[in-house]
Amino acid sequence: MARSKKWICVAAALTALAIPAGWGQAGSTSHSILGGAAVEFEYPEQVTIPAGKATEVALHFRVAQGLHINSHTPRDQYLIPTAFSIPDGAGVQLADATYPQGKDFTLPASPTDKLSVYTDEFVIQAKIVAPAGNHLVQAKLHFQACNNAMCMPPKTIPVAIDVIGK
Amino acid sequence: MKRNTLVLGAVLLILSTFAWAGWANYEYRKQAADRLLASVAKGELVVDASSGDAKFVSPLTGKPAPDFALEDLTGKKVSLADYKGKAVLINFWATWCAPCKIETPWLVELRNQYAAQGFEILGLSADDLDKDDAKKLADEKKDIGRTADQLHIPYPVLIDGGSLDKSYGGLDELPMSFYVDRSGNVVAAQMGLTSKDEMEANIKKSLGD
Repeated sequence: MARSKKWICVAAALTALAIPAGWGQAGSTSHSILGGAAVEFEYPEQVTIPAGKATEVALHFRVAQGLHINSHTPRDQYLIPTAFSIPDGAGVQLADATYPQGKDFTLPASPTDKLSVYTDEFVIQAKIVAPAGNHLVQAKLHFQACNNAMCMPPKTIPVAIDVIGK
Repeated sequence: MKRNTLVLGAVLLILSTFAWAGWANYEYRKQAADRLLASVAKGELVVDASSGDAKFVSPLTGKPAPDFALEDLTGKKVSLADYKGKAVLINFWATWCAPCKIETPWLVELRNQYAAQGFEILGLSADDLDKDDAKKLADEKKDIGRTADQLHIPYPVLIDGGSLDKSYGGLDELPMSFYVDRSGNVVAAQMGLTSKDEMEANIKKSLGD
């Protein structure tokens, strides 16, 4: 019996050594050299609108310094337009969206080619229809960001808004 | 008898514990290897202390260029190995990338200038493809083809370049270029729009001039 106990102790010690110290560490995350978020939703986090009536809500976004994103109406057909959407089944509907006009922008290496972009802060006027009640909406903003020399792939970020229909 | 059963049970417990520990250890090492691969295989911008300029440093520089076989716009498979003995510029671009379109005319000129010396460019489109939707896929290929035509690209344009994201150290930014010498080794890498002169210098390096 004493020998069995000894065996179990030895096995437990060996097992403890076998279990790696870093077991359970989180995996690596992908990163962009340009770093950070290209676009952030600023506000509002919560809006109260008349139930059942299409109401304009001003959504404020910020583009990271040094970056630009295409406006909703880029000049080249292959450039990705910035677009706001509310997925089906979100509880509220997007009746319409009015986008700001893009600013003219030229890359230093090609001063004759004008791009239509958003930089710094921009505001999308979203016409939202919500039934009575509280709706936690996960809307989306699709965009494609660049700096003067390189571009990041198109991206969709969540736009979380608490919409209260009264 | 009772003692034997107890010992047998203990032995079985020990063996199963070892088996679990071995599996756990294998999983841990696999994850650690994946993490290491992900970190090592990523390129990074390094700021030159004297000039203050940021320079792209790829872990692939000095190593064999990872081989690939991708379809061109006609559906023909093209692999890097097909260009053995040639100096090759692997240029990742996309239809939505404005800086890519600025550098493409430089690439075309340089390709025509150095083709006779055994130099070729492979333009790898990193545009997303809807592989499960035949109609969308056909439209996307057409868009890539139209853009290549607009840019008068004379060299092979391959699709699905984004699938090489891991092997080429992350394609989080475009344009991105890798210069491969005649032996198949990466001799230089560039990220973002640089200059025609810098590209030419790297082409000469890949040709061994």
